[in-house]
Amino acid sequence: MEDRQLNSSGCATDGGKCCGGGITPFLVGLVVSLIFGWWVFPDMLYSKKEQPIRFSHKVHMEDAGMECKQCHVLREDGTFAGLPSTASCADCHSDVMGSDPEEARFVNEYVKTGKEVKWLVYQIQPDNVFFSHAAHSLDGCNQCHDFKESELCAQCHPDVANSDSAPTLYENKLTGYSKQTMKMWQCERCHANENHYGVTSSSNACFVCHK
Amino acid sequence: MSSFKEFKIKWGMAIDLDKCTGCGACMVACQAENNIAPQPDASNKLKSLNWLVVYELTNGKPFPEHEVAYLPRPCMQCGKPSCVSVCPVIATEKNEEGGIVSQIYPRCIGCRYCMASCPYHARYFNWFDPIWPEGMDKTLTPDVSVRPRGVVEKCSFCHHRFMQAKDKARVEGRDPNALNDGDYITSCTEACPNGAIVFGDVNNPAHKVHELVKSKYAFRLLERLGTDPQVYYVSRREWVRRLGDNYLENEKVKG
Amino acid sequence: MALDRRGFLKFIGGATAGILATPVVWKSLDDVSIWSQNWSWIPRNIDGANSYVPTVSKLCPSGVGVRVRLVDGRPVRVLTNNDHPLGGGLSSIAAAEVQLLYSPSRMKRPLKRTADGAYVGITWEEAETMLVEGLKKAKGGDKLAVVSGDETGTINELFTALAAEMGSKSCFLMPGEAQPAAKAWELMGGEGQVGYDIEKSDYVLAIGANVLETWGPVIRNRHAFRVGRPHGEAPAVRFAYAGPVQNNTASTADVWLAIRPGTEAVLALGLANLLIKAGAASPAADFAEFRALAARFTPEQVAAQTGVDAKRLAAVAQELAKAKRPLVIAGSEFGQGGGAAPVLAGLALNSLLGSMNREGGIRALPYARKVVPAAMDRKALLQNDLVAWLGKVASGKAAAPQAVVFYEANPVYALPQADAVKATLAMACDLVLPVPMGLERFDDVDTPYGCGQVVYALAVPALAPLVDARPAGDVVIGIAKKLGADLGVAAFADALKAKAEARGASFTEPSATNAHVSGAVLPVNGIALRPDVLSKAIDVKAPAFPVALAPVAKLNVGTSMTATPPFNTKTVRRWEIQGKELYVMMNGATAAKLGLRKHDRIELSNPAGKFTVRVNVFEGVMNDTVAVPAGHGHTAFDEFSKGKGENVMRLLAAGAEPGTGLSVWTSAGVNIAKA
Repeated sequence: MEDRQLNSSGCATDGGKCCGGGITPFLVGLVVSLIFGWWVFPDMLYSKKEQPIRFSHKVHMEDAGMECKQCHVLREDGTFAGLPSTASCADCHSDVMGSDPEEARFVNEYVKTGKEVKWLVYQIQPDNVFFSHAAHSLDGCNQCHDFKESELCAQCHPDVANSDSAPTLYENKLTGYSKQTMKMWQCERCHANENHYGVTSSSNACFVCHK
Repeated sequence: MSSFKEFKIKWGMAIDLDKCTGCGACMVACQAENNIAPQPDASNKLKSLNWLVVYELTNGKPFPEHEVAYLPRPCMQCGKPSCVSVCPVIATEKNEEGGIVSQIYPRCIGCRYCMASCPYHARYFNWFDPIWPEGMDKTLTPDVSVRPRGVVEKCSFCHHRFMQAKDKARVEGRDPNALNDGDYITSCTEACPNGAIVFGDVNNPAHKVHELVKSKYAFRLLERLGTDPQVYYVSRREWVRRLGDNYLENEKVKG
Repeated sequence: MALDRRGFLKFIGGATAGILATPVVWKSLDDVSIWSQNWSWIPRNIDGANSYVPTVSKLCPSGVGVRVRLVDGRPVRVLTNNDHPLGGGLSSIAAAEVQLLYSPSRMKRPLKRTADGAYVGITWEEAETMLVEGLKKAKGGDKLAVVSGDETGTINELFTALAAEMGSKSCFLMPGEAQPAAKAWELMGGEGQVGYDIEKSDYVLAIGANVLETWGPVIRNRHAFRVGRPHGEAPAVRFAYAGPVQNNTASTADVWLAIRPGTEAVLALGLANLLIKAGAASPAADFAEFRALAARFTPEQVAAQTGVDAKRLAAVAQELAKAKRPLVIAGSEFGQGGGAAPVLAGLALNSLLGSMNREGGIRALPYARKVVPAAMDRKALLQNDLVAWLGKVASGKAAAPQAVVFYEANPVYALPQADAVKATLAMACDLVLPVPMGLERFDDVDTPYGCGQVVYALAVPALAPLVDARPAGDVVIGIAKKLGADLGVAAFADALKAKAEARGASFTEPSATNAHVSGAVLPVNGIALRPDVLSKAIDVKAPAFPVALAPVAKLNVGTSMTATPPFNTKTVRRWEIQGKELYVMMNGATAAKLGLRKHDRIELSNPAGKFTVRVNVFEGVMNDTVAVPAGHGHTAFDEFSKGKGENVMRLLAAGAEPGTGLSVWTSAGVNIAKA
């Protein structure tokens, strides 16, 4: 009780000066949290992961003249194979073809042992999401748009067609999903766009994308 | 009641109750297809979870005039689903071409209003976490997400098979909105050796079910509630049809 | 600058304002909600490429043809195989076969019983050594017995050949419909295996035989039912069923004749009498004697014995006479213990109806030739009566075996008088060897009893065994070698190949079914109706019990070798099992007579055994009869079936059928007392 009285009288005599330094502590707090929130926190939230093999899409697309769908293939039953297996890579890379040490490593460590590469996928969706690659076809979209194949893929996937190495995967420590994993609102850029209705078979009904 | 969409395609069933022996193959095929967890004790039918249940019907007469029939009950995929209008979080809706009533598990808050509103008891609540005996979870299909405790689930007419059929049509260059009869059938339809269930597009004259639902012996459960189910039953037995709705004692039964 | 309390609060205020202007709170909330959707204990979907393996179920007694769906080599479903001659749908047990691969009660390695009765894991090498040592002691003079639960596989040839090399003929199948039928067909002078062409028939009368649930190739039967009964239209094929309980077959049949348990043959003779009176005749040499026998079974007599009134009997006789391709199938309503009399009487009816050796009638199908030289062929194997043999062993009339090999058989659970069998077999095996499950092995199904055609179906592994199991066929061949015997085949695969060839099948090309159908039939000449045997065999002593017992068999709760699969507990009806208690069924009149009401706890007892159950009133049961669901009351297996309900086999006592000597246990009765 006595302390408090002393304090309050002390304050009165000192005039505004000792009263928490005016607006400065507020500003300091603001700046600190902004720095934390915009720079430190995102860095803390994600762990960085690199692909087990440095893969150049550019070499395959420009030098070998391949298309996305040659490796990222739609199976006969309409399901999507996703990433190619070591066996399908070995169709060409049964032996080392070039001078890239990464290719040699791939051939030695995977092709020769028959092991599958644990590629990191940037767009893995939760179990409750159903996505049909067959439905999102060039034919459908190019009724109005004028996409190249790689452009269409890049609507959702990181555009790797021209890159020599795959981007770093930022894995959310809390959810386990990659930073690039699409959110529902991103799907809805097309699915909730009424211009798509009737022209494509697009709809924003829940069951179109959920399972 | 709020208004609901009309659809060009209407997936439906015609279940011939004179062909169902009540063997239960459809129930097992449904559980395996839709990743429904087994239950060591399923004798408490209020707490066991099924998307499809085979009910036993009786004509109520004493021996030897007694007759028995079995009635498989999936979700009716009502044209005017009462579950949809009561859902506070839009976890269930009837909005997709084909008329299948959707249920989105991560969105469901487990309030169970829909269960109370469904006149067919087609909806089930996950009272327990889904647990498979050790290793048996390896037999889960990739087609249907596993539902945690606390959400409501129901038959989806094996909706994933609809998506797969459409994708197959796309890859083969066919129109995914004009599937042939049999391109898309549910797991129970496929499993029934007696062919008691015929599945297809009720609106499509090229599909067998289109004719079957017009049979004078066809009826729907509790038709007069106005729910407009997409599941039809067929029985040449008057007493079976009578059990399909609440008839007055002297009232004539449809068909 | 020193920071005082007010300054600190300002700092916090600034920090709070700042943090709200960053993604920290909003992103964290969003991420936490996503995190909460993926609990670690909730299994996740695993994507992959689909592939399908056409095979045949060795688990389901119907031998249903199926396709196994695999996702990246991982089996996920058993699916219908519409192209398969034994397919066209799933049985409730085959539908759960993939999941059963991971059954909690699956044996994971060879086990040896120790002195204190516990089982310990051992290696295959130890196990095989033990087996060889055990078998060495059983050499010569029927000291080795073999019991097989597989009625249709070539595997039996290897087991019986091993027994023959050891000097034993004591080889048995678990009881089923095939044995009494084989006996009856043999008595009539028929060649080969009797077949029923349901597919082409237009009127099927099943007497006892539960044709749409447990009798014969059920899924094939049901496919024929499907084809003959278009939706909502008058059926092209009529089905009539006679049996004590309105079971699955009766529920969809056009006619249900309720009869007392064990009176199938009497009903058939009553129908024969009416048909003969209406002018039917059989080309059989002993037709005159048969007519005299049938004449004893007047409608009044039949009504007194079976409980079917004269009008209903006459109606069925008329329908049979009117039908173009009628077919009568007689058997036991729970798939075993029926004796030869019902089959004899049923086949006699077919003869009167002109259904012998005709489309939509009775066919004589050739047996496949043996592929293991020393083996017993199927015909010989079917002549051995396991129940009778066990009875003899128990009473000291036959020498007790030194060693018994059980293959996919569970006699302590599945034989009549289960309690006594347990005592005779000295309880449990010393050595338990895991074999790959049906989906993990090469195996075969050769023309199951009841088929109207020769069908040879190959079982193909969809995956490698998940446990340390070895194929029984190859183990037997190896063991024989160690015992100094050459069975004449180097590997089980060779035996299968030879069997397929013997059936005219070749599986060199990829196929949608891995099955082969042949039109081969044997001539049916000089068939005798055997009234001499029938008149004796039909003389069933009326049960000296107030209430007759009718077991009700359903596939969903498992088979004689497998308990209820985990997925099937939900298919068990509400008033069949509650908790651990079994409900039995009786009609309202019977219940009233006994002073019982639904849910009353009662004790069923007879000299064979007793247990306590509860009452369910179901009007689809014959008067003075209690219907007991079979397939419950397991003392082994897992939490999905162990300790639930009671095993009806404990109340069934086998007797010998006069005239044929076959074991029969379809005429049981019980005392009922409130418990």
